[in-house]
Amino acid sequence: MKILIADDSKAMRMIVVRTLRQAGFSGHDVIEAVDGRDALTKYQSEAPDLVLSDWNMPEMTGIELLRALRASGSQVPFCFVTSEGSPEMRETAAAAGALGLIAKPFTAEAFADALEPVVSA
Amino acid sequence: VNPFAGLAAVRTELGATLVDVVSAVLVQEAAPTEEPLGPGTAAVARLGIHDTVTHVRVGVEVRLGLGLARVLAGEMMALASPQDEDVVDAVAELGNIAAGATKALLCQDARLSLPSAALTDEPFEISEPGVQQVRAVVLGHVVQLSVAPTEFDGLLWPPAVPNEALGGLR
Repeated sequence: MKILIADDSKAMRMIVVRTLRQAGFSGHDVIEAVDGRDALTKYQSEAPDLVLSDWNMPEMTGIELLRALRASGSQVPFCFVTSEGSPEMRETAAAAGALGLIAKPFTAEAFADALEPVVSA
Repeated sequence: VNPFAGLAAVRTELGATLVDVVSAVLVQEAAPTEEPLGPGTAAVARLGIHDTVTHVRVGVEVRLGLGLARVLAGEMMALASPQDEDVVDAVAELGNIAAGATKALLCQDARLSLPSAALTDEPFEISEPGVQQVRAVVLGHVVQLSVAPTEFDGLLWPPAVPNEALGGLR
């Protein structure tokens, strides 16, 4: 399985990779993107099976990335990993077609709960 | 109504938020403290919160000593000897998480800027009244969170790309 991780923080991308492993999701190919636009480009070239994306990023935000993917017809499972987890943002994410929203700081259990439906261990 | 007018009233919650964030990110026990930050080089992350209803903006700063910042970067990035750029990246993310939690505490209809982080020998200096500061101690070192009724210079805000423009990116 290919997993695309979009975050403008290298530290957070590394934490997400590590947390995936801790949640029991090992052995997957990981592709990293530094912002939403980079993620969109890499989505088109790599065709990942899952996108994990920050919300606030330069160039293109996570919600704009999701809307662009859905507008292009992609139904790839998409989950936000973001520092803001207000009910309004969760509603916005769900309305745009996100699988869920994992708020930072997070735990491996939060990853397991959110991603179990789409990621194989 | 200015959502930040009651900043002083939520100081206790702000302190608890800082303790929670620091504890979770560093995977260490943290506690509130009134101890000041020690002297020396500090790692600083600054962000802004923009209330989209009133258009009032506040600044959020997270500040910690360089030694603790290196421990933070080592923990976050699983590095034995993080370089300065790793420290800045890690502190930016700590600031991002703390500011996101602060935003959730203060208002709902708001935007968060991107973090701006650096290593500095300059002390904290905001002369405007109304600045709220809380501190947490972790591993014997202090982390300081300041929320100020001011907008920091040079912050970048996430772009607002109209939905109709996104079709061209297919």
